[in-house]
Amino acid sequence: MSRKKTKSDALYLSDRQPLTTAKLISLIVSYILLIFWAFIILWPLAQIVISSFNGNQGSYISIGGEYKFSLKHFTYLFEQTYFWNWVGNTIVVAVATALLTLLIVSFTGYAYSRFRFSGRKASLMTIMLLQTVPTFAGITAFYTLHSIVAAVIPGFTRQLFLILIYAGGGIASNTFILKGYIDGVSTELDDAARIDGCGNLQVYRLIIMPIARPMLAIIALWSFIGPFLDYMMPSILLNDPRSYTLATGLHTLINDQYNMQQPAFAAGGLLTAIPIVILFIALQKELVSGLSSGAVKG
Amino acid sequence: MKVELANIGKKYEGRESFTIRNIDLVIESNQFCVILGPSGCGKSTLLRMIAGLNSITEGDLLFDGKRMNRVEPKDRDIAMVFQSYALYPHMTVYENMAFSLKMAKERKTLIHERVLEAARTLQIEEYLYSKPSEISGGQRQRVALGRAMVRKPAVFLMDEPLSNLDAKLREHMRVELVRLHQALNTTSIYVTHDQTEAMTMADIIVLLDQGKVQQVGPPSEFYQKPANLFVAGFIGSPTMNIFKGRMEQGLFRSENDLILVEPNAEDARKLKAYEGKAVCMGIRSERFNAGKAEKNGITVKIDVIEMLGKEQLLYCKFPDGQEVIISEPGHFEYGLNEDHNFNFDIDGLHFFDAETTMRIN
Repeated sequence: MSRKKTKSDALYLSDRQPLTTAKLISLIVSYILLIFWAFIILWPLAQIVISSFNGNQGSYISIGGEYKFSLKHFTYLFEQTYFWNWVGNTIVVAVATALLTLLIVSFTGYAYSRFRFSGRKASLMTIMLLQTVPTFAGITAFYTLHSIVAAVIPGFTRQLFLILIYAGGGIASNTFILKGYIDGVSTELDDAARIDGCGNLQVYRLIIMPIARPMLAIIALWSFIGPFLDYMMPSILLNDPRSYTLATGLHTLINDQYNMQQPAFAAGGLLTAIPIVILFIALQKELVSGLSSGAVKG
Repeated sequence: MKVELANIGKKYEGRESFTIRNIDLVIESNQFCVILGPSGCGKSTLLRMIAGLNSITEGDLLFDGKRMNRVEPKDRDIAMVFQSYALYPHMTVYENMAFSLKMAKERKTLIHERVLEAARTLQIEEYLYSKPSEISGGQRQRVALGRAMVRKPAVFLMDEPLSNLDAKLREHMRVELVRLHQALNTTSIYVTHDQTEAMTMADIIVLLDQGKVQQVGPPSEFYQKPANLFVAGFIGSPTMNIFKGRMEQGLFRSENDLILVEPNAEDARKLKAYEGKAVCMGIRSERFNAGKAEKNGITVKIDVIEMLGKEQLLYCKFPDGQEVIISEPGHFEYGLNEDHNFNFDIDGLHFFDAETTMRIN
C-alpha cells in the first residue's frame, strides 16, 4: 500500500538553512524593493508603448485619457518626417563604427598584448589618459579637422567624420579590454601556430580572433549601440535634417512647439530598439559564452 | 636529421647576462635526446631556440650541416609538443591535427589520410570530432602528439609533455613515446626536469645547470660515472651519499673521522695525485653491504625507515649527526633507533675533487 505523503514526510532538500522569522522578513523587504525598482524602470517604458499606439493622444502625451488603438503616430512618423532617412543613416553609421572599431581594436589589442616595443606602456597610459577628456571638448578641433580633410577629399562628408569620431573614441577603452582578454590566452598557442606555419596576422586571424570572439562580440555590440544613443555630436556636426541619425532626428519632434509630436517620438523610440534587439539576439550565444568562459577552465 | 649546436648562447632583451652560453652539442640522426635540468637552467630556452621561437644570440644551429639560425620555425621541418598541449580550443581534434598541413596547402585527401593514420596510431579515432575541452588530459596529450606526428617532421621537439599527467598515465606514456620515436624514425629532443623520464627514455642525456652543460652521455653513464658533484647529486633517487674528507696515506678519511675507506686499486692509482688534498667521496645507497667487516665499515643509528616493498630505505645518522641513506632488501628486519654495521662496496665509490667538483676516478 502506498503511503500518503504528508508535509512532515517531505525531505528538506535545500542546501540552505531553513528560514528564520528575521530572515523571512528581510527576504520580503528585498522583494518589495526589487519590485519597486522594476516598476520605476518598466512603467515609463510601458507608457511609451501604450502612448505610441493610442489614437487619442494629441501632440503632447497625457496619461489617463481614453485608449483607442491606432497606428496614426507611426503613419505620421513614416510620412511626415524623414524617419526612414534617419534609420538608414543611423544603421550605416552604427555598422561602420562597429566594423571600424573591431578592425582597429583587433590590431591594437593584439599588438599591445603580444609584442614588446619601446613606449608600449607609456603609449597605453597616454591613450587612457586622453580618454578622460570628454569627446565634446574636441568639438572645435573636429570642425577644423573636417574642413581641412574635406578641402582635400571633397567626398568626405560630416557623416563619415562622425563615424571616425565614434570609432576613434572607442579605441582606447576597447583596446584595454581586448588586450586583457588576449593576455589570458596562453602564448603557447601562438608558438604552436607559428610552428604550424602561421605569420603574425594569421596567428591573430586563425587562432586568437576565434578565441576572443565573445569579447569582440561585446565590443561590436557596444560600438553599434553608441550612435543610437548619442544625440549631441550629430546635432552639432550635421546640418541637414535628412542626414540626422535617429536620436537627433527624433529629438526634432519634441524640441519646439510647432513640431511637437510626443506620441510620434514615443513610436520612433520604440522602433529604435528593434535593430539593437536583433543584433543582441544574433550575438547572444557569443555574449553568454563570453560571460561564462571566465568561470570555466578551458 | 643530425642536429648540431655550436657554441650557442642566448641573452634575452633587457637582461644583464646570458641565460645559456657556450653550448656545444651533437645529436645524431634518430637519437632520442633528453635535455635535463632543474627549473630555470635554460633548458626550455635551448629547445625554443632549436624550434626557432627564440632567436639565437650567438653560435650556430645546424640541421644536417645547414645553418638554421634565421630560418622560420615552419621551414625547419620540426614539430613541437608543448607542456600545456597548446591545442586550439575552437577547433575539433581533427582540425587541430590537420591545421599545419592545411597551412602548408596540402591536398585534402593527403591531410585526411595523415590525420587518420596518426589517430589510429594514437588510438584517438573516437574523439576526432570532439573539441579539446570535451576530452580528458591524457587524450589531449595524444592529440598534441598527433598534431606533431601528421607533419612527419625530421626533428620532434617536446617540452615537458608529460608533466601535466598523473603518475600512472605518465609511466604509460613514457613507453608510448619511446615506441613512437622508434616508429617515426625521427630525431627527438625532449626537455624535462624529471630524471626518471630522462633515464628511462633517453639514448643520450644532456644535463644542464646554470646555463652550462654539466654532462652529456647515455643514461647508464650518468648513474655510474657522474662527471661532477652536481650530476652525482641530481641523478639517482635517493640522492647519492656524499662525504667530504681528504686522502691520507692512500685512504679516504672523512671530516668527522668516522669513515676510513681504502679505495680499490684502480681508484687508488688515480687518487695518488690527491694525497693530502680535500676530496669528496660518493656512494649510492644500494652499494652498502650489511654486516660488520674488518675495514671500510661504519656504524650508524637508524633514524627513519621508508618501506618500498622490494627494498627499504634506511635514513641513518652517524654519532655526530651526519646523515647517510642506505637501501637494503625489503625482507631484512630493521628497527628504529637501532645501531647497525654496514660496509662500503669499494667498487661502487665515486671520488670528486672538492675544489673543482670534477670526478677523479
